[in-house]
Amino acid sequence: MAATSIPDAVLIRFSVLHRLLHWVVMIGFVGLALTGFSLYFGSQWWARGVVFLLGGPERFGYWHRFWAVITYGSVLIHLGWLFYFKTLLKGRLTGPQTLFPSPKDFKDLSGHIRYFLGQARPPRFDRFTYYEKFDYWAILVGMNTMGLTGLILWFPEFFSVFMPGYFINLAQIIHLYEAIMAVALKLVCHMITAHLRPEIFPLDRTIFSGRTTAERMQKEHGGEWDTWSNPAGSGPSAVAKAVAQEKLADALPTGREGGTI
Amino acid sequence: MSKTNRIFFWLLVFFLLPWSDTSLWAMKTADPPSSWFIDLSRFSRSAHGSLTCEQCHGAMKEKDRPHPNLQDPRFLKEEATRRFDYKQCQACHRLSYERYLKGAHAAALEKERKGLTNTPDLSGKKNPAPTCGDCHSSHYESAHRSRLETGRWMTDQCGTCHPAQKATYLDNFHGKAAVHLGNTKAAYCTDCHGAHTSLSLKDKQAALQACLRCHPQATLNFAAQVIHPTLPAEAKADPEKAAKVAVIKWVTVVMGGLVILVVAFFYGHSLVWLLRDLHEKIRKRN
Repeated sequence: MAATSIPDAVLIRFSVLHRLLHWVVMIGFVGLALTGFSLYFGSQWWARGVVFLLGGPERFGYWHRFWAVITYGSVLIHLGWLFYFKTLLKGRLTGPQTLFPSPKDFKDLSGHIRYFLGQARPPRFDRFTYYEKFDYWAILVGMNTMGLTGLILWFPEFFSVFMPGYFINLAQIIHLYEAIMAVALKLVCHMITAHLRPEIFPLDRTIFSGRTTAERMQKEHGGEWDTWSNPAGSGPSAVAKAVAQEKLADALPTGREGGTI
Repeated sequence: MSKTNRIFFWLLVFFLLPWSDTSLWAMKTADPPSSWFIDLSRFSRSAHGSLTCEQCHGAMKEKDRPHPNLQDPRFLKEEATRRFDYKQCQACHRLSYERYLKGAHAAALEKERKGLTNTPDLSGKKNPAPTCGDCHSSHYESAHRSRLETGRWMTDQCGTCHPAQKATYLDNFHGKAAVHLGNTKAAYCTDCHGAHTSLSLKDKQAALQACLRCHPQATLNFAAQVIHPTLPAEAKADPEKAAKVAVIKWVTVVMGGLVILVVAFFYGHSLVWLLRDLHEKIRKRN
């Protein structure tokens, strides 16, 4: 096929908006974790250092809320984009091109684990692997629960008008445990699987540049590659759109845009 | 300065800066408990340092004999704080003393004198009800402490008899902001429970009044949040609170379990994957 005959073909995997939102979420997430944990572990010396650097305890809460608004703003922008994608671009929100969970993810998971244990070849992932989907949904669901519990803690007087008072306690507990889970997963699992594995080390530039190569697509997203090379397959008939020469890389290929949720 | 030196210099500055009252310099040694023996050099530096002994202790005579009666079998055997008549304090601290008389600590002391002690969580203590001297050091207390210093000191002080309440307070947003981060706009113990009145705030209206001091929009619902999800013995007497504490405990356990399961699974996943990648890399090299 055409794609395989271009050895250094450059594929656009993430649009400008999604690269930008990754930056915002990345910075906002670190800001939230730093300020939030500095409050929870306030008796520790490093937390006091953070508080000092951010201008003292009285301004400290504002920083946490500042990052919260910025980070949740990116969720709203993303949801707005999903709406735009569905209604105006007539895109699909389900299927192998999207981040919507499918039965194949569970097959891929068990196949991947068998690969780890040396019992099978690695699965041929679709456009988004199961662990990428987990990262996405963990953030999307997590941001909303963190946002809701955070709002309860931000405006406890308002929420206690129609909620029992001890829901403030529950919000505090859920907010804390979700934060621990999110930081424990993103800081270790996301960093290892996305950036620090020997295959990729030290950094996967795809999320920052949006570009990947045909070679990597064949290896990491073989399932999607197969649908391209087989026009009868379920994927978009868009080998030409999917594969662009280096000079076209900065332009936004709208057809490919569609799949990036 | 070379680049490395500059980095070390700024690191040193970072660690040594006396941010608010939280740096190494802010650490202080705990006051020793009241005793029959007074360290006069420390006394003279204290809030009461300008007073003479007689102003509080009266003439050092008892029935025409010199007052510390060395023949008395009880000499130096009793707790100093139980011997002293703290009514004397009201000569200067009238308001504090009146508030104390209205509060829960004075009521507990009255019960203790009548032999009716009924404080289950404090039953381990010999004389649980506090007088002035149990919380305040008459001889060594320093004067003109900042709100933050007083707040941190009081958290430890109240915590000696109410350790569960201290722990839950420090786990609560108020304690973290006020004591750990040093945000003096947040509430310390007495901001809710009253200075010297020391009310338990089990009464809903009393709790609401306490909340309203800082949260003008507070409602009875708001005041029903649990600041101290404390001991079972304490909660048993109050079934409503016991139910809330049980829900809080269960949500904590479920959330903790969820976090452990998810994190354990994905840590294992990442680790095995890392090993597989390393394995492949080494295999290709050979």
